[in-house]
Amino acid sequence: MLKNFKKYRAPYLFILPFFILFVVFQLVPTIWTVYISLTKWRGIGAPEFVGFENYSKMVIDDMFWESLLNTAIYWISGLVLILFLAVLIASLLNSKCLKGRAFFKTATFLPNICAAIAMGLIFRMLFDENVGLINEVLAAVGLDKVPWLAGTKYSKIPVILLIVWRNTPWFTMIVLSGLLNISSDYYEAATVDGANGWQKFLFITLPSISNILFFCSVTLTVDMWKVFNEPYILPGPGTSNTSLFQYMYESGFNVFNMGYASAIGVIIMVMLTIVYVGQFLVRKKQGEVA
Amino acid sequence: MRSKNLVALGLVAAMCLTGCGGGTKTAETTGAAAETTSQAAAPESKEETESPSSEVKVYPAGTVTFYMNGNPQFRQQYFETWLENHRDIAPEVSVEFVQVESNADAREKITMTALSGAVEDLPDAVFLDRLNLMDLVQGGLLVDETEFLSPLAEKMVDGALTEGMVSGKMYGLPDSVRPQLLMYNKEIFDKYEIDPASMDTMDGYIEAGRQLKEKSGGETYLSWIGSNNMTWKCWGRRGLMPQANAKVWDEEGNVIIGSDEGTKLALGALDTMYSEGLLMRVEMYDPALYDAINSQKIATFDIGAYWDEFMRQNCQATAGQWRVMSAPVFKEVGKAGAPVSSYMCIVEKGDDGVYKELIEQMWYDFTFDTESRQAWVNSMEEQNAPYTNPISLEMLEDDFWKEPSDYYGGQSFREWEGLTLQNGANNMIVTAQDAEGDEIISAEIEKYVAGDQTMEEAIANMDKNLKAKIGKAEIVD
Repeated sequence: MLKNFKKYRAPYLFILPFFILFVVFQLVPTIWTVYISLTKWRGIGAPEFVGFENYSKMVIDDMFWESLLNTAIYWISGLVLILFLAVLIASLLNSKCLKGRAFFKTATFLPNICAAIAMGLIFRMLFDENVGLINEVLAAVGLDKVPWLAGTKYSKIPVILLIVWRNTPWFTMIVLSGLLNISSDYYEAATVDGANGWQKFLFITLPSISNILFFCSVTLTVDMWKVFNEPYILPGPGTSNTSLFQYMYESGFNVFNMGYASAIGVIIMVMLTIVYVGQFLVRKKQGEVA
Repeated sequence: MRSKNLVALGLVAAMCLTGCGGGTKTAETTGAAAETTSQAAAPESKEETESPSSEVKVYPAGTVTFYMNGNPQFRQQYFETWLENHRDIAPEVSVEFVQVESNADAREKITMTALSGAVEDLPDAVFLDRLNLMDLVQGGLLVDETEFLSPLAEKMVDGALTEGMVSGKMYGLPDSVRPQLLMYNKEIFDKYEIDPASMDTMDGYIEAGRQLKEKSGGETYLSWIGSNNMTWKCWGRRGLMPQANAKVWDEEGNVIIGSDEGTKLALGALDTMYSEGLLMRVEMYDPALYDAINSQKIATFDIGAYWDEFMRQNCQATAGQWRVMSAPVFKEVGKAGAPVSSYMCIVEKGDDGVYKELIEQMWYDFTFDTESRQAWVNSMEEQNAPYTNPISLEMLEDDFWKEPSDYYGGQSFREWEGLTLQNGANNMIVTAQDAEGDEIISAEIEKYVAGDQTMEEAIANMDKNLKAKIGKAEIVD
């Protein structure tokens, strides 16, 4: 080990800053979080060790389970809708039939550069029960006003729409970069063999960008499990829109139950690890990763 | 290579030393401050300052920092003027008001700063409610003001000091004591020939709502209800619950909300109003609410006196139509709503807390100096800005605090703010777990408003979740 270090001293020194930052800002806080999750601590004074009390409280906490369910809903709906739309829009942007491609590429990316909170406030106005534009349109065509954010039945719809609207452009660009790398020879050969557009998409495009889609699904999974801005700015009644990450923040900084908030943080870490390992194993089984 | 390593090491060492240098400078500044000649703070110091023979304490150059939510810029105006008038003792002192989102936000910022050890970055004072004050006291982050405040207790309105006390010690310099009151639109009541005096009881209040609904064809609502946490804050914790003598916890901190008769009375009244369609569903502070007020769709607010500033700022279309009376009482209890107190607390900064006595003097003049307070209030009126009634008994006797308000059709809001304090209910017991408790209770109320459960189910769920998640609350004297 020491011999290796002496031999590769320069490369080790080059990567040292990363590891210093990793240890100080990630590893130590992670270990600290695990420790705090086993204590009762209100942010002031010394933490009091309580073992697994915070975890056992979580089992009977309805708000925790609702937040977990909400997060799973945001994750699944985000994953399906964003990836579907990203592939669809990227394919359109990659189409040779499209005129003014540069303009559409720029326009497509615009939602992603808008501040999430500002957009959230605009969505809140749009979906306001009394004076929102959406309900005004519904009323104009003779439909009843919908309590979008005032009722639990529809409250997640504005949140999901905002998530999809903001995130789709980013993943569209990633998918588009994959599409641009597919050799046109494949499509020409398929045309000669008599393949139609759908068959080309199914048997050439999708397999060619499968690694990119896997990368997108992993990053989207991480993003969705730590989704905060959208449900925070578009709250529904009670915890009907609260995400797990938001519940962790509110437990920590609104009610100062740092031990409980840390326990939620540990659960999020465990969940993400399980989901990631699951995705990785599926890919490995498909022979896509070594 | 070795020489390069040495150079790098030297650079790192230099950087470390530079960092240390910053700390040294701060220490020197603090030391200089500590050497300044001393003089007792207000009220004694005020008298001594006037005496030519007394030694005047001159405060070191710097900035006095306050954390405050709401509209701190207006309070800053008072303190800036005060400093301009006291350049003899504070020649190079300025004042800075940092706006915080809420009392909890102020507590979070102070806690985190203290935890990081950056004591010099703490504010000098902070405006707090009882819950957050109590937490910071338990963390040793607020200065004990018992010695300073004790001689002044008799000069202040009843209960001014109570909510700022922890374990018999006074930590909060009282800033305001504001009542729960009933605001009603007289023009609406005249139009539908309903006697506002009938709203002195909760039954009468609900009956007035029924008449409004019937006579207006459902166009005018008695009041509002929302599906966020403001419903619990305004209708529950500060309104109906204390009015009905309701309890979340018993004296030992056990959860009793599920079996408490007062809770059933309070939330039952809210349920009656909402289920009968007397309350417009709209969120507090949303433009839709102000639109509804301006178009005479909402007739009353059983709410804290703080609501006055929002009405004046956002509802000028109905200026002159509003009147104020005592909040309706439940016949079983006979008490109006509970007052809400706010405190200015001096933060414990150790040797860095060089402005403690200066802040006490500033607070003393804001509280007891009639001339400067009235000048400030007049300025607030001109700017349509918020201000509160004084807590000084002597100051309250002045006719200035009985002057009529145009917004209230010639009725004196200031006078009524004082009058409505007279039959105030006791505040609910505040525990260290109240922030968490409020979140649990509010979530159930919000689901009730959304139509997901009945009020009986909501109360049962509050009880169940409070017991599951908090169990027993810590009661702090």
